[in-house]
Amino acid sequence: MLDIFYGKMPGAVFNTSVYFKNVYEDSWITDPFSKEMILDVDRSVVLGGGVIDSPVLGKIGPNSLSGGVKTLILIKNEPQTIFNASTCGDDCAKWILKIAELQDVTINLRHLMDFGNGRFNIHILNTDQIVHSMKELVPIAGLYV
Amino acid sequence: MRGTYRIIVQNKRIRYDFAIRRNLTVIQGNSATGKTTLIDMIREHYENGPASGVGLRSDKECTVLSGRNWEADLSAMQDSIVFIDEGNGFVFSDRFAAVIQDTDNYYVIVTREAIPSLPYSIEEIYGIRDSGKYGTLKQTYNEFFHLYQAEGYQKIDTPKRIITEDSNAGHQFFKAIADGAAFGAEMEKMTRLLAGHGGLALYLPESFEWLLLRSGILEDDEVKKILAAPGAYIDSQEYFSWERFFTALLIKKTDKSYLKYTKRTLNAAYLNEKIRDKIIAVIGRT
Repeated sequence: MLDIFYGKMPGAVFNTSVYFKNVYEDSWITDPFSKEMILDVDRSVVLGGGVIDSPVLGKIGPNSLSGGVKTLILIKNEPQTIFNASTCGDDCAKWILKIAELQDVTINLRHLMDFGNGRFNIHILNTDQIVHSMKELVPIAGLYV
Repeated sequence: MRGTYRIIVQNKRIRYDFAIRRNLTVIQGNSATGKTTLIDMIREHYENGPASGVGLRSDKECTVLSGRNWEADLSAMQDSIVFIDEGNGFVFSDRFAAVIQDTDNYYVIVTREAIPSLPYSIEEIYGIRDSGKYGTLKQTYNEFFHLYQAEGYQKIDTPKRIITEDSNAGHQFFKAIADGAAFGAEMEKMTRLLAGHGGLALYLPESFEWLLLRSGILEDDEVKKILAAPGAYIDSQEYFSWERFFTALLIKKTDKSYLKYTKRTLNAAYLNEKIRDKIIAVIGRT
């Protein structure tokens, strides 16, 4: 299940890039799921734990991944921590839904991320309601962002 | 500061070419489009100049603001274009909104979260996109694009119901209008709410006062010149938003005339049929 708290959330990690820089492990980068996310969102190929091949920036370290993909990797690998997922663009939304299929996930959103036209199960913590589409989500979440 | 500034930032691998038109610009959009890379390059150039390996062309100094000491750092920034990356929570504070009103800088802020305390225009919310390789170099060329554009426009002859954001003269005239000059913070929510609902239209002029000026009812050559290139006339230190400028201009231009404008109460002269039709006609043209 994907739990989302909309709006400012004390205790959530706001600056996910700084947090990532100080806590990431090489195994998080080389994990097949992370490799897929990095390829899809950043169009970059993981060569090893410390090296990623970016089509734009050349060979880069994990800290130079996009803010969105760094947050996705944190959400996947630190499920006990709540992250500000408004550092993720809409292109990350499907990955948040995929991670939530594998494990329970709680995130903080400070904007209306577009989860697409499909059906989903999202638990809005602010009102304790479960929504299944953007049409259901927006009128509720919009009150808090 | 007033005017439009073209900025080119580049290194061997990537090149950004864009224009900043107003005091407040917001960058949003998908991940991995190069928002943070742009700001890192500007920071490196600011710290090290050409020795950074970053080339930067701009008529105004480009700087980066971040961290807990933002207010002290900002006090040293004048007549500059100030870039702020996401992760800087101070941009959402009332203190930040109050402090930057008294500066003569332009601000470019990376955030997906709305900033209701800042009157940024929907016209100045951009995404960044890769427009291919630049020239014969192996350099990716990035440009800004408007995130909110009039798409799928269909003329609505007679709206059945009109909802207005304006509570004063604009509301009294139309009971019908929101102004685009300061609507940026609400735009994401509006577009998400409207998605999938047919028969709804948003009309977002700069402001109600802009609409009156644009209608030509004043027949004033100076007004025409200003409307053709407002950015060249609007000093960001004097007017925090274009809406405020257009209000002041309309009040000044109509003072002591039968069209004397006040924001709180609509002068009945604006409801005269000929004048009203001229104002409404602007909506069909803009």
